[in-house]
Amino acid sequence: MPFQPVAGLHGSDIPAASGLRTVRDPYGGAEVYVVPAIRPDWAILHVHEADAQGNARIYGSVFWDRLMSRAARGVILTAERIVPTAALARQPELTVIPGLLVRAVVAAPGGARPCSCAPDYDVDRAGVEAYLAACGDPAALAAYLAAEDGALRGEPAPVGGSVAQ
Amino acid sequence: MTAATYGPAELMAVAIARLLRDGEVVFQGVNSVLPMVAIALARRLHAPRLIYVNIAGGVDPAPRYLPDSTTDAELARGSASLFNNEDFYDLCARGGVDTAFLGAVQIDAQGRTNVSAIGEQARPKVRLPGGGGAAMIMPTARRVILWRTQHSRRVFVERLDFVTAAGNVDRVVTPLCVFQRREGRLQVEAVFPTSSAAEVAASTGFALDASAAWPVLAPPTAAELAALAAVDPRGVRRQEFHGG
Repeated sequence: MPFQPVAGLHGSDIPAASGLRTVRDPYGGAEVYVVPAIRPDWAILHVHEADAQGNARIYGSVFWDRLMSRAARGVILTAERIVPTAALARQPELTVIPGLLVRAVVAAPGGARPCSCAPDYDVDRAGVEAYLAACGDPAALAAYLAAEDGALRGEPAPVGGSVAQ
Repeated sequence: MTAATYGPAELMAVAIARLLRDGEVVFQGVNSVLPMVAIALARRLHAPRLIYVNIAGGVDPAPRYLPDSTTDAELARGSASLFNNEDFYDLCARGGVDTAFLGAVQIDAQGRTNVSAIGEQARPKVRLPGGGGAAMIMPTARRVILWRTQHSRRVFVERLDFVTAAGNVDRVVTPLCVFQRREGRLQVEAVFPTSSAAEVAASTGFALDASAAWPVLAPPTAAELAALAAVDPRGVRRQEFHGG
């Protein structure tokens, strides 16, 4: 899609500030704003399950992940679990991101921490505060990351098939 | 907190809940804790058939508790379907959203909002989070309710530094009063029983019609406060008052 018409934006300073143009609706006649395509080089998305080819399931709400996977030139997945392709092929309609869009898959159990990855784990408020406290201080941040790394290594190994690193 | 006492969070939650109607489609987005609580309250009291759509993808969900964040997956728990964000925008664009809640940093007399920047546009003093979809939602939702936990001349301004969104604002709820937009301008619909007309006028940076006495909001009833305590026992309704 080269650009997309959107409803609204009228009366806002955003179109002028962002250089958004209008077209006349060829069917209804009204002036409609059109927004240019966003084409990022990469989308980095955290998913619940992926196979080694990058076919991925997201459980629960996908928010903007599906759209971002389609917009980017390449997708890097981080996954809670690496699973066999056959497990995904049993219900392909649950695969939100097809592997053909994906350039790399990283096995990253706990990869959303200290934020949430429902339903696997909830947000860790103390962890968020520890992260914020460590930000801006390279030594404190290194210590925070080392502690996180150790915590994650202590967790059970991912289930399913081979792990692509 | 006992059922007989209330503060600004309880007043705002009750005032917002009273604006919601049974059967209408109501949307709540990111960073919208007070609307989340008010929707739960309205559904428990007078609007059991209100259709609640939220940014977490939930449609009439049954969360075990009201979470700290309104993007929390808890707000999709028990939902029989997931309504993705792009679907919500389409629904709104075609007129299918009766009431949407939007936040603001600055609000002007027309009910337009600024969530973009404070100061000169070219070199802003403070860069704000940005409007998200507000510029699309505000003109396309049938009715928009704004809320703001601060009521001051810095918030309610004569002139916005930047117009992020303009459109179908109907009410604005603050810790001092409820504004209603009439003939294109915000006017005081009801002053909170904990405030006064003088305080509202002194705290508002644009002119208000003071030709008639402003009614005082009926205080929260015992039933409303009991229902509020039941839907929000963790007190997340007070969260927005901590950071200012």
